[in-house]
Amino acid sequence: MNALMIKGLLFAAILIGATIYVVNSMNIDLSDPINMIAMIGAVAIAVLTVGVSIKYINQMKTDTAGGELADESWDGIGEYKNEVPSGWAYSWLGTAIWAMWYMISGYPVNAFSQIGQWNEEVKAYNTKFEEMHKTADAATLRQMGESIFLVQCAPCHGTTGDGLSGKAQDFTSRMTEAQVLAVIEKGSNQLGYPMGAMPPMMATGQDAKDIAKYIAGGMKGEQPASFAACASCHGADGKGMAGMSPNLTGYDETLVGNVVKNGKKGALGRMPAYHDRMTPVQVKALSAYIQTLKGE
Amino acid sequence: MFHWLEKNPFFFSVGVFVVIAFAGLIEILPNFAEASRPVVGLKPYSVLELAGKNIYMKDQCIACHSQLIRPFKAETDRYGQYSLSGEYAYDRPFLWGSKRTGPDLHRIGNYRTTDWHENHMWEPTSVVPGSIMPAYKHMFTNIADIETAYAEAVTVKNVFATPYGDEIKGTRAAWEAHKPAVLAEAAKIAADMKNKDVKDAVAAGNIPEVVALIAYLNRLK
Amino acid sequence: MQSNAALEYDYSVAKLFTYTTILFGFLGMLIGTLIAAQLAFPELNYLLGEYGTFSRLRPLHTNIVIFGFTLSGVFATFYYSAQRVLKVSMAESKFIMFIGKFHFWLYFVGALLGVISLLLGYTQSKEYAQFEWPIDIVIVLVWVLWGVAMFALIGIRREKALYISIWYYIACFLGIAMLYLFNNMSVPTYFASGGLGNILHSVSMYSGTNDALVQWWYGHNAVAFGFTVPIVAMIYYFLPKESGQAIYSYKLSLLSFWGLMFVYLWAGSHHLLWSTVPDWMQTMGSVFSVVLILPSWGSAINMLLTMKGEWNQLTENPLIKFMVLASTFYMLSTLEGPIQAIKSVNAIAHFTDWIPGHVHDGVLGWVVFMIMAALFHMAPRMFKREIYSKKLLEAQFWLQTTAVVLYFTSMWIAGITQGMMWRAVDEYGNLMYSFIDTVTVLHPYYAIRALSGVMYLTGFLMFAYNMYKTMTSSRELTEEPQFRSPMA
Ligand code: HEC
Ligand code: HEC
Ligand code: HEC
Ligand code: HEM
Ligand code: HEM
Ligand SMILES: [Ca+2]
Ligand SMILES: [Ca+2]
Ligand SMILES: [Cu+2]
Repeated sequence: MNALMIKGLLFAAILIGATIYVVNSMNIDLSDPINMIAMIGAVAIAVLTVGVSIKYINQMKTDTAGGELADESWDGIGEYKNEVPSGWAYSWLGTAIWAMWYMISGYPVNAFSQIGQWNEEVKAYNTKFEEMHKTADAATLRQMGESIFLVQCAPCHGTTGDGLSGKAQDFTSRMTEAQVLAVIEKGSNQLGYPMGAMPPMMATGQDAKDIAKYIAGGMKGEQPASFAACASCHGADGKGMAGMSPNLTGYDETLVGNVVKNGKKGALGRMPAYHDRMTPVQVKALSAYIQTLKGE
Repeated sequence: MFHWLEKNPFFFSVGVFVVIAFAGLIEILPNFAEASRPVVGLKPYSVLELAGKNIYMKDQCIACHSQLIRPFKAETDRYGQYSLSGEYAYDRPFLWGSKRTGPDLHRIGNYRTTDWHENHMWEPTSVVPGSIMPAYKHMFTNIADIETAYAEAVTVKNVFATPYGDEIKGTRAAWEAHKPAVLAEAAKIAADMKNKDVKDAVAAGNIPEVVALIAYLNRLK
Repeated sequence: MQSNAALEYDYSVAKLFTYTTILFGFLGMLIGTLIAAQLAFPELNYLLGEYGTFSRLRPLHTNIVIFGFTLSGVFATFYYSAQRVLKVSMAESKFIMFIGKFHFWLYFVGALLGVISLLLGYTQSKEYAQFEWPIDIVIVLVWVLWGVAMFALIGIRREKALYISIWYYIACFLGIAMLYLFNNMSVPTYFASGGLGNILHSVSMYSGTNDALVQWWYGHNAVAFGFTVPIVAMIYYFLPKESGQAIYSYKLSLLSFWGLMFVYLWAGSHHLLWSTVPDWMQTMGSVFSVVLILPSWGSAINMLLTMKGEWNQLTENPLIKFMVLASTFYMLSTLEGPIQAIKSVNAIAHFTDWIPGHVHDGVLGWVVFMIMAALFHMAPRMFKREIYSKKLLEAQFWLQTTAVVLYFTSMWIAGITQGMMWRAVDEYGNLMYSFIDTVTVLHPYYAIRALSGVMYLTGFLMFAYNMYKTMTSSRELTEEPQFRSPMA
């Protein structure tokens, strides 16, 4: 091999090496068939282009031009009647035959369904993860929850879950006074609790303010007497009477599940409904994670 | 044989044309009738949504965003149900895009909301730190061209039989009569927004571009 | 073979198109460099108010380089070389001269209007067909004028058999004519609604999946008949002419040409893999793309073999260097494309930066290199002066070659990384990366690409300066050079 070829292939090797290095540093699983085929394709591009073009460029160094000239000459340009390079001709024939075979008998054009393939992919996923998800312990759930949160929820709630200065719910605390006051004033009927709707104006004026302050403060200290109006549904401890109405003290699984499923429009803005786009395990994981966010 | 062709430019050109036109006939025509059928329940875009689509085109969001969810689990997890042909039946032009510098938007209406878009279009990094998407502040003051959107609805109704109701008709009077409905739709969106200029504009009967754009984005589901 | 020394070729139209090639090349690449920089440094989006965002400028970039730079180059080289290989002068026919000049001026006005309309946001949003309907009509007229000039020249030719370059120019003319018409069919809303709204707005004749099919039937073949076929026409003329070598093999030219014509259009659906077009169509696009490697490589190999035994020319003549490297970049992009068209590879590559990487292997390494080499070859003959500076030319060559390598290596790594990150799942089966993670990770590659843009643009300015000096002030020639272009 001559120097040019070695330099060329070295370049190809560096390119491929760098690609694999970067991909690996992102923790990518190259044994995934799609990833693997793409990587093989990349190698083929680099090696074949460099190899073949340098092979011909080398002929500029070593070979001499020649052959029988055609009669014509255009503006002084002649044309040899040389045969086509056999490697090229056979490759072409080869790809043409391969194409025919592929479309007619190998993978007949009407025999593939991308939707069918998606179904299989999902099924394979389920068998792989179902067991693990069933038995996930608390620590696993929190970790799962974190990665789901970062992909799905962080664009609104921020990567730290602080709600991006009031643009969405701040998970480091429960609710602000303004949020509670808004609910008291307008009532609410969107989360799908067994208790149904919360009526508006259960408290007014100073009462409402006291209640809001109390709830926003994490329901610590002395409970205002007016909170009795709320306790009938949310319980004296504000925990929502075992899932009958929202827990006002923390982000339990029922609350997160209901909000994620149904969405929520409140004082801060609107949160979209995910309907059935989250599995029960994912909801569990999310609430486990969100509960770790509260700052003390 | 070929040398003969090379001396006869006319037949040469005909030969080239036939050879290149051939593939189009076989590959494109057979699909034509079938692929443009709408899925059940698909509604044509409202005039406000069409205006939003035109802003999406004018500012070329398609430069960075696709609207095509491919049938891979990773993609359906991120964006939702894979796209179906019949969902695009009223898309003229199709807006699939060919580059995802930003995420796919085909179902963005499912998981982002008016107030979020308001923050994001004003200053993307305020909600997504590290975003390289440009801020589109000019959309909060530029007024959307609703009349052209109405003309588009009339056109697709008359020429392509897109199922609009009787309120879409090619007369100025019909357009004037339809205007309040468009404004009402815009007002609903503006109600969820905080920007004062936008609210004032809508109250005064003008629809800023961002309102129409958000109507369109919310419609993508 | 008759020698007709008395024939004076008329280069006035070729010269006009040469100027616009340089003008639009500079503009297009300036904007290319700006948008590349915007992805690395988003603050650059706000230099021109609403007209300066990445999204407004990106179509401006693509349209200026395609319809401004590349087409000007195609027309310039056509009006130059067609006269010579057909052995007729435009000066022989007043009609052809008129058509040629009219062609240029209509083109130039249309191009300026097109640029302004895109800046203002008038667009049909279909890639490479963005211009609104009035500009489309101008483009069709420009195209018709070119066809008239082409077939009129062919009609009065003295050289009976058409040279290979002419085959390719004819194919370029026919292919684009057919595709452009179909894809740009639209209904202006003003007229269909009894005079409501903006007169410039229109809606596509096709909807949804059908629109996509027509668009990529066009889009793929705009690449074929805009970035490939006419550039092959150029290399078949300028490489043998500059080197004085005969074409290696007529048979290879023939098989490559007809093979390319036949296969190219079948491959269009590789832009729609995994989309909602029927599976069988996708499979065919994918398979035919792989078949397409060989007819594409045929021309490149023919060119490399034409230079057989001429290593010294390669080392001594920078124009030969440009053209030989252009052939190899052509090989690179016509292997890379087919491999990206394999469905499993496309699952990674599509939507990522690997595609712009592929694009710019082709356009920077093949299209621009070839057009610049052709104009350098033409300049001493059209302006009767030697090329102003060989040193500058050499420096430009190395600067731009480095720039292309930086461009495609950075986008290759960026694209593959991003494509794989989108798919990645963590140990629990949930998506591993949020979208923004897959954006911020690309910053270094976007920065490298922006740097490569600055380098490439600088190289293009060196080219423009060298051309300008060649036109105006370098040493005059008394006699037309036969082969190798003289340079100081
Ligand atoms: C009739 C039963 C009932 C009473 C009385 C009631 N609530 Fe509620 N509350 C609910 C229900 C049911 C919901 C869930 C509403 C929904 O689905 O949107 C709710 C929701 C809330 C929420 C929103 C929780 C969240 O996370 O979004 C707050 C805050 C709240 N109530 C506070 C109060 C306060 C303060 C009072 C007393 C002034 C009160 N509630 C009285 C039934 C009640
Ligand atoms: C498009 C923006 C957006 C996205 C995406 C989003 N949220 Fe929200 N979310 C909000 C907003 C805004 C609120 C506050 C609504 C209000 O009370 O004004 C909210 C409120 C909530 C609440 C309710 C708190 C309460 O006490 O009522 C929970 C729980 C929540 N989000 C969880 C999630 C989870 C989990 C995800 C991801 C799966 C998520 N959110 C995704 C915008 C979003
Ligand atoms: C320079 C590229 C670029 C352009 C142009 C651009 N975007 Fe984006 N867009 C992004 C990136 C990157 C993200 C992801 C980061 C973020 O959310 O800001 C994004 C995110 C989004 C999102 C949120 C999607 C999600 O899933 O969170 C929406 C909606 C959006 N863009 C709409 C638009 C609209 C509408 C336009 C045109 C008016 C536009 N974008 C133009 C790059 C761009
Ligand atoms: C054998 C020849 C070629 C084949 C089979 C091929 C194939 C492809 C494929 C598969 C894509 C990507 C589609 C996607 O996933 O988005 C693509 C994109 C592209 N290629 Fe090629 N390519 C070839 C040659 C070339 C050449 C020589 C050039 C230019 C000089 C070129 C320019 C482009 C452009 C501009 C795009 C981008 C299209 C878009 O906007 O999405 N291609 N090509
Ligand atoms: C200085 C040189 C250039 C630079 C820095 C540059 C940069 C860019 C950038 C940043 C993009 C957008 C990519 C994206 O959206 O991710 C782009 C797209 C494109 N450029 Fe260039 N460009 C240059 C020269 C050219 C030239 C000379 C041509 C053609 C002759 C060209 C043709 C294209 C095409 C066809 C696209 C669209 C690709 C696609 O949609 O996939 N570019 N360029
Ligand atoms: Ca593209
Ligand atoms: Ca057009
Ligand atoms: Cu293509």
